[in-house]
Amino acid sequence: MDWDQTIASVLKNEEIAIISYVPDINIHKVTKLLDEDPYFQLISASREEEAIGIASGAYAVGKKSAVFMQSSGFGNSINAIASLNIPARLPIPIFINLRGEYGEFNIAQVTMGQSTKPILDVLGLPHYTLENDLDLEKKVTGAIRLCYSSHEPLAICLTPLLHGGKNA
Amino acid sequence: MLRYSATKLIMKQITDQPVVSNLGPTSDELWHASKRDRNFYTYGSMGLCSSIALGMAVAIEQKVIALDGDGSTLMNLGALGTVGRIMPSNLIIVVWDNEKWAQTGYQPSHTAYGTDLEAVAKATGINKTKTVTNEEDLDLVFSQALEEPGPWYIVAKIEEQEYLPVAPVEPEATLHRFRSTFVTEQERIG
Repeated sequence: MDWDQTIASVLKNEEIAIISYVPDINIHKVTKLLDEDPYFQLISASREEEAIGIASGAYAVGKKSAVFMQSSGFGNSINAIASLNIPARLPIPIFINLRGEYGEFNIAQVTMGQSTKPILDVLGLPHYTLENDLDLEKKVTGAIRLCYSSHEPLAICLTPLLHGGKNA
Repeated sequence: MLRYSATKLIMKQITDQPVVSNLGPTSDELWHASKRDRNFYTYGSMGLCSSIALGMAVAIEQKVIALDGDGSTLMNLGALGTVGRIMPSNLIIVVWDNEKWAQTGYQPSHTAYGTDLEAVAKATGINKTKTVTNEEDLDLVFSQALEEPGPWYIVAKIEEQEYLPVAPVEPEATLHRFRSTFVTEQERIG
């Protein structure tokens, strides 16, 4: 199973049906699969913090939800995470495609991309980085379960080593 | 129209629908007007009140009410476009429009200079919209919004008033109380 299919299948196994996101070319491989599967309700937001708000609303009424974004958009979400999810202990698995990694062609993506994990550390949030297919299902499943049991948002970072990156 | 009195008017019509309130006085006044478990008071995350309500509206069938503000709406105007794209028939957004950032020193907001939030909502495709300036009209349009499919976008022009004491609506306690009305004890820990 390819990495994108594994993530989609784990989301379904973990009964996470509501997904809010802002498009990204690599994340598109997953969101396209989710869009084609009637099990999922895929909600396109105009900005990443909005996606956090939507997913948080769904969780508050008892439905599990996840967010997909790019690292640049993580920058747009920090206040939402810091002033809603952390103080409310409201868990959302956040899939972040890390730009600014191996092979990045765009200098404007480097700073936010490389700052994403340090910012997650400062916020005190757990994060895992996926760099290959090894034990992918176990890793994503485990991260999601940890997110809900710890009642806090958690980031799952996707990298070019996993999906090939964006070349232009 | 005063927000606290208008909030009480709205809460008289509410039965068990979830209500999400914007940070600051909107949440404080909602708590003073109606202390109920299905109020989701936001404490921070300015600009996300209607997005949180949208997330609830796509997840359940019941009507969901957002009590938002003009400054907060302006912070995330794209969120209105998302509502216009999804068109959830069970979402009612009420915007308390005092035409200012009152909490930060009464600086005039863009709605004081001509930004028409009802027109913005209409431009996203939301066609159940109304701007009201008195309690009687608010009462009427809100009861219609509870009955008829939406999404509804109601701009309520208000005067700012003296603030009530800050309500004890800490985020963790709010989420726990609110979510417990939707899930079983066993589901709550899952």
